[in-house]
Amino acid sequence: MKKTLTLVLALVMMLSLALPAFADEGWVELRVEAYDRTIAGFNLEDCWQLRYAQEHFGDPNKIKLIFVPVPRWTEGEVLTTQLGGGTAPDLCMTYNGDLINQYIEFDGLYQLDALLEEYGPNLKAFLGDDLLKFGQQDRDGDGTKEQWFLSARRLSVANVGNFIRADWLKALNMEKPTDIESFTAYLKAAKEAGLGGTRTIPMHFDLYESNPLYNVVRFADAFIDFSQVTEEDWFAYSGLHEMLPGSKEAYRWFNQLYHEGLLYENFDINDDTATDSALLNGYFGFFSMQPDQPWRTDKNYQKEMETAVEGAEWVSVNCFKNESLGKYLHDEYAANGLSIIIPKNGGATTEEKAIAAVKYMDWLAQPENMFAMQNGVEGINYLEVTADGIPTKVQSADAVPDENKMHAGDICFISNGLYYGSPEKNAAAIALGFDEKYQANIVESYVHAGTDAWTQTSFSIPIQAETDYGAMIKSKQGEFLSKVVTCDPAEFDAIYDAAIQDILNTGASELIEEQRAAYQAGEFRGTFPGAAQ
Amino acid sequence: MTTIKKRKPKLTWLVRDWRLYVMLALPVIWYLLFCYKPMIGVVIAFQKYSLVKGMWGSRWVGLDNFEFVMGLRDFPLALKNTLWLNLMGLVMGFPVPIILAIMLNEIKHSGVKRVSQTLLYLPHFLSWIIIGGMVLKIFAPTTGVVNSMLLRFGLIDKNVPFLTDGPTWQLTYTLVGVWQNMGWGTILYLSAITGINMELFEAARIDGANKIQQIWHLTLPVIRSTIVVLLILNIGQMMNISFDRPYIMGNTRVQNYCDVLSTFVYRAGITNAQFARATAIGLFQSVVGLIMVSSANFVTKRLGEDGIW
Repeated sequence: MKKTLTLVLALVMMLSLALPAFADEGWVELRVEAYDRTIAGFNLEDCWQLRYAQEHFGDPNKIKLIFVPVPRWTEGEVLTTQLGGGTAPDLCMTYNGDLINQYIEFDGLYQLDALLEEYGPNLKAFLGDDLLKFGQQDRDGDGTKEQWFLSARRLSVANVGNFIRADWLKALNMEKPTDIESFTAYLKAAKEAGLGGTRTIPMHFDLYESNPLYNVVRFADAFIDFSQVTEEDWFAYSGLHEMLPGSKEAYRWFNQLYHEGLLYENFDINDDTATDSALLNGYFGFFSMQPDQPWRTDKNYQKEMETAVEGAEWVSVNCFKNESLGKYLHDEYAANGLSIIIPKNGGATTEEKAIAAVKYMDWLAQPENMFAMQNGVEGINYLEVTADGIPTKVQSADAVPDENKMHAGDICFISNGLYYGSPEKNAAAIALGFDEKYQANIVESYVHAGTDAWTQTSFSIPIQAETDYGAMIKSKQGEFLSKVVTCDPAEFDAIYDAAIQDILNTGASELIEEQRAAYQAGEFRGTFPGAAQ
Repeated sequence: MTTIKKRKPKLTWLVRDWRLYVMLALPVIWYLLFCYKPMIGVVIAFQKYSLVKGMWGSRWVGLDNFEFVMGLRDFPLALKNTLWLNLMGLVMGFPVPIILAIMLNEIKHSGVKRVSQTLLYLPHFLSWIIIGGMVLKIFAPTTGVVNSMLLRFGLIDKNVPFLTDGPTWQLTYTLVGVWQNMGWGTILYLSAITGINMELFEAARIDGANKIQQIWHLTLPVIRSTIVVLLILNIGQMMNISFDRPYIMGNTRVQNYCDVLSTFVYRAGITNAQFARATAIGLFQSVVGLIMVSSANFVTKRLGEDGIW
């Protein structure tokens, strides 16, 4: 008896030693990039979504999933270095289309046509033919375009949210501003009344180094004189709206606001924590970000501001009226979200891994899996489900235990936005995802964001000048914004003209020329807001 | 005369001192791997480099990359700023560790001496990310500690533009650098000073030399060769500038004053994966650095000092 027991024990021990080695055989390790937004308590490398995907997709397919965290705001740079060193994840995503163009040219990416055909039927159906076209280029010049990357499907194309303080308007006994003039009056009145205390900052905007004019162009576009802008100009000057007729007055307006103390004076000294704390403490009277920004569950500016300032409330405002068109211009995203690639990594990403990557996306694209990966667990991440099957009472990140924290968008990257099967359901779900108290404000914000909206410009052929000079033009634009906003008003004209000339000389002239040619060749996407309707 | 037969085998030096050579091997390997092997890569500065085709497969384009980068408008500006910031750093930063080392040497209480040394070394180990954050909190307009205090006490009625005015920014940049490095820089000087025979000081004291005279006639002459070597090395670094420090401390308002070669390379080369162009600038920097260090060495030798080779 004793002998048998010893034998069995020895066998069990041997087996347990041998098993892991045995289990590894035939397994593929798939490293997937995941944007990291440093949400407190949320560990990307061991999160609920990863465990769920491993259990339902990885284990049955013998694929070991690994999430590689990459900081969201420097993803382009990080990916550039990783691709350069051949150490990028097997499945990558980026908003830097220019980087992708180069790797297509280098032959550094897997061609996806055959892979999608064989392993990605659900993925293809989810993305649809129009969206797939974004990732097609004729690399070898044989006249047919091949699939080099995938564009995530963007469910909500709204991009611009402008927010004003409802409690301030009430205190000032003012209506919501409806044009630049009434908006300026609001800023002045708010400053005079000192509604945010001694640190009142009536208008806030930020200069993001990666795209310095990203924030201000929303306001500046209201000044463009469309009677002098043709559709061709619009596309030729894509990314360079500060050079379009009328824009100069926008920057003169900023300059005036700055000197009257109505603007956030440190707008160009990058300090996110200072901006956040000013926002949360209720110093700002206006700011502009994404349409749902003040109410997001992971960083709820509205909720936190309420606790600091009683009765404080952000509401959406539509005040940047372009007089030449009589429209409130808002830019909208095209239907393509971020771009997804499978890099070759100099051979480190094997064909086996490329297949696993497509299989993984195909699994994500199936409705029941996407639902789980985007919404989490009922009773933890959300409390109820509507008759339509949309989760409600979605819990904020701090109400969810660490092991169940998740980030729907970043990890379920093939869909930019929560997907419930139809456009109506998706739209309804946007507001339902937020605290009930704020839903009316959010709906209003999305309505505003879609008012007179134009689709952002992109080009379907690579723009060489963007590769050569893009980063330097951006840096010059940052310098331009700093200069024209802060300069002595008496010198504004001279400084403005010189700064524009500087941008032109840094490669913008070449960029304009090339974008004009791309327009003439019909290789453009997006809409012209000045088009007769 | 009879020839004495060599009794020892040829490799006697190795057998005798092998431990020392093993120790030496580590830095030698480090240099080979990280300084000499990458040098092969400079060939891509002359190519239309493709990551996939690699170093040997890419097309040779001669000096095209050099022409492109040097033709960019920001290049001369970045070059000028690099030299100027380094020169300011050298002029203001070089004497400080020497003075500090002499002062530290005069502290007689060993406990006090050690604590002050450690405190002085500390900033050297802080990353520029952290220092950059501190600088922002301390020197920012209106909200920064210094400006908000001065404003509150009515000592100024307008912000001191530590970070927002070009030349003032350059001064802030330099002084923060001096602060960060001065402690660390004392190490070599201190070790040189410690090597001085104490009898010399006693003899000087007996001859009636006071503290200042002892420093001037004894300490300084002894560490002179150290000073010269470090000066030559520093001059050789004139074209090199770290990336993190100007990148983190700079902002768009002082763009014309804070854009240096490293940040320029980052923009013109790395962000768009134009590695050949980045390499071209790197090679240019190295060549100029070599010329500078050689000429500094030559001049020093002419002046009767030892030099570094």
